Amino acid sequence: MDIERRNNVTVTGNPRGRAVVLAHGFGCDQNMWRLTVPALAEDYRVVLFDYVGAGRSDLSAFSESRYASLDGYARDVVEVCEALDLRDAVFVGHSVSAMIGVLAAGTAPERIGALVMVAPSPRYIDDASYRGGFSAEDIDELLESLESNYLGWSAAMAPVIMGNADRPELGEELTNSFCATDPDMARVFARTTFLSDSRDDLKAVTVPTLILECTQDVIAPREVGAFVHQMIAGSELVTLDATGHCPHLSAPEATNGAITDFLARLR
Amino acid sequence: MNPMRITTRDAATGPVLGIFGDLDYTTVGELRERLTALTLRPGQRLVLDLAGMTFCDSSGITALIAARNHADAFHADIALAAVPANTLRVLRMVGLDQIFPLHPDSDAATRP
Amino acid sequence: MCRNGPDPDCGKKSSAPFAALLEDSVEELYENAPCGYLSTLMDGTIAKINATLLDWIGLEADAVVGRMHFTDLLTVGGKLYHETHFAPLLQMRGEISGIALEIKQAGGGRIPVLVSSVVKHGGNGEPLLIRTTVFDARDRRAYEQELLRARRAAEQAHKQAEADRARLQDALAVLQQSLLPATLPSVPGMEAAAHYRTASPDRLGGDFYDLFAIAGDRFAFFLGDVCGKGPQAAAVTSLIRYTLRAAALHDPDPVAALKTLNHVLHERYTGDDPRYCTTIFGTLEPHPTTGEATVRIASGGHPPALVLRADYLPTPGGLLVGVLPTAPFTAATTTLGPGDALVLYTDGLTEARTGEDRTSLYGDEALLEFASSHAGKSAPSVIRALTDLLDDLGDGLDDDTALLALGVPASPPPTRRNA
Repeated sequence: MDIERRNNVTVTGNPRGRAVVLAHGFGCDQNMWRLTVPALAEDYRVVLFDYVGAGRSDLSAFSESRYASLDGYARDVVEVCEALDLRDAVFVGHSVSAMIGVLAAGTAPERIGALVMVAPSPRYIDDASYRGGFSAEDIDELLESLESNYLGWSAAMAPVIMGNADRPELGEELTNSFCATDPDMARVFARTTFLSDSRDDLKAVTVPTLILECTQDVIAPREVGAFVHQMIAGSELVTLDATGHCPHLSAPEATNGAITDFLARLR
Repeated sequence: MNPMRITTRDAATGPVLGIFGDLDYTTVGELRERLTALTLRPGQRLVLDLAGMTFCDSSGITALIAARNHADAFHADIALAAVPANTLRVLRMVGLDQIFPLHPDSDAATRP
Repeated sequence: MCRNGPDPDCGKKSSAPFAALLEDSVEELYENAPCGYLSTLMDGTIAKINATLLDWIGLEADAVVGRMHFTDLLTVGGKLYHETHFAPLLQMRGEISGIALEIKQAGGGRIPVLVSSVVKHGGNGEPLLIRTTVFDARDRRAYEQELLRARRAAEQAHKQAEADRARLQDALAVLQQSLLPATLPSVPGMEAAAHYRTASPDRLGGDFYDLFAIAGDRFAFFLGDVCGKGPQAAAVTSLIRYTLRAAALHDPDPVAALKTLNHVLHERYTGDDPRYCTTIFGTLEPHPTTGEATVRIASGGHPPALVLRADYLPTPGGLLVGVLPTAPFTAATTTLGPGDALVLYTDGLTEARTGEDRTSLYGDEALLEFASSHAGKSAPSVIRALTDLLDDLGDGLDDDTALLALGVPASPPPTRRNA
């Protein structure tokens, strides 16, 4: 199987630099990293990809059973690393991808030598004293809305894409593929993302880890950032002065600065 | 593909059906309908003039046999006129040249 | 009205009386417009909200302004979508329009809405605040749900149709298999091989073959072609197969077997809907001492059998089976020595269209040429070669094709003795 085609792998940056794998979160694709890539390209070999079912991945490779657990997505990551023969790469994962990176680093320690977790959450649903930010009812409603509205997520984007003709600087490719996600496959990914509980996996992390959180994030509140930091021994937690769940888009300079600073200290 | 057309005339020996075009699975129904509507008198000869027939598949052969059975039911005879070479080869192969009197043209076939 | 006045104050002057007449004002319009208005700081804090939107969400201004963020009005799915799509796109483009979201009502209800936002910039280009309009999309959502229901129904119907089709194909395959032997019996001192393919997978074929033991060391075989295709042809094929099997047990003389079949077919299918077939029926008598085998065949209108030495075994003058109450059938006899094989085929092979434009026929001479180049080969390898040939002919095959080869090995196969 051609993994690079399956996961729409893009390799850019400095071919002699350490590999940095940028992994998108739920409902997105590799275009989410477009403001991050320029900050890394000079010194690092930058690897971008789409999970199967997202962006321009090979949708025919989708398997509901494989992607019903985060391990299936972690296998995507390991297979991409193997296909490119990456060793000691830095894995940068956004949102649920941060947890996918934890799993991938656990199964292929020789491939992944450090983790950057951008707005991570190991468990979205509140549980006893743990605060994940969502009630079980919230998540049920979310999954139900995805079930009942598959015109929604993809169709909602249509007006934006069409309204883009007078903004050529955004580029044809970006507008066509920005967060394109197959609705059926998005449902599977949503279920996997929001019902998984990966809190116990955090303890197993032994590689240098940077955690980035935002001051105000409705998806991953600060309690979650603190929890992840506490669970991963030796991890660094940086709170970005940013709003929202996507600091790499809303506060790219601060986010890139924190990442490059961490990478520089890894050497 | 050549669409099929059927002409009818009466000779001294009996009716002469001229078949033009392809006699195959898609057109054979028309010939069968014509035959069903055709009444013969005992001793008459039904002549099928195939000079204008461009193609004949196994459904066409079946229709020829059905025509023979039809004539037989009226105690009438049947004859084929101007059978194209390809069809003649098939008729010989399956032994039907022994069943159908063959004539070089419709004039010869309608001689009393 | 002021359609073409050059006076820049024209609008103000002339519209004022209308506004007064309507007792309307900009403030009044803002508060009670038929859509929701919302202004938020760049961090999402709600700074201003109109009465229409407050009414929709069921809250007082005091509880909202300065206390809530825009995302607090949204359902979880909406929040997620806002964070991953809406906000990044708004930041990138400065505006975004027509996004389908749902807002929460204080009583627990949900209102589907269409949201558009624009970033207002200050004098130095710095972003100041976000202006958002919210349109009630309940009717539109109901329409979408209707479309969705219709689409699901169509998908369901499609799936059902596919499943029905698959079931039908399975049933056809089972029926087709019942018309052919599952495996060929082993004939002492000989090799047998067969091949069958239908021109179309969802149509029952009209070709048939069989090989079976009759009495002592003798075997009978037949291969033929029923006129027509589909279920009617399959029904005829079934009748032929069991008639010939029974006839062979009763009287193994090939001509007698064909006469019995002819009688059965002619009696069963008569008048304006004649059903007939071409067939070669034969018996096989291996001689354990000489290694040779005597073949007796009779043909009813079937293309001549091929003996790979290499020549045809002509059977001219045999008539289609089932056409006349009494019909002539032509018999022939030959002896197969070591290295000889008898090949039976249907006209699917000889009538296959060949050449670039698929207008020529494969034909008898090409088959004879094939036979001479494969003389001395074993029955299985002859069938393999013919199968490859059929593969090459590809879409030139219009008709079903059946092949049966019976051969005496050039060197006798190791004999197995029973203990």
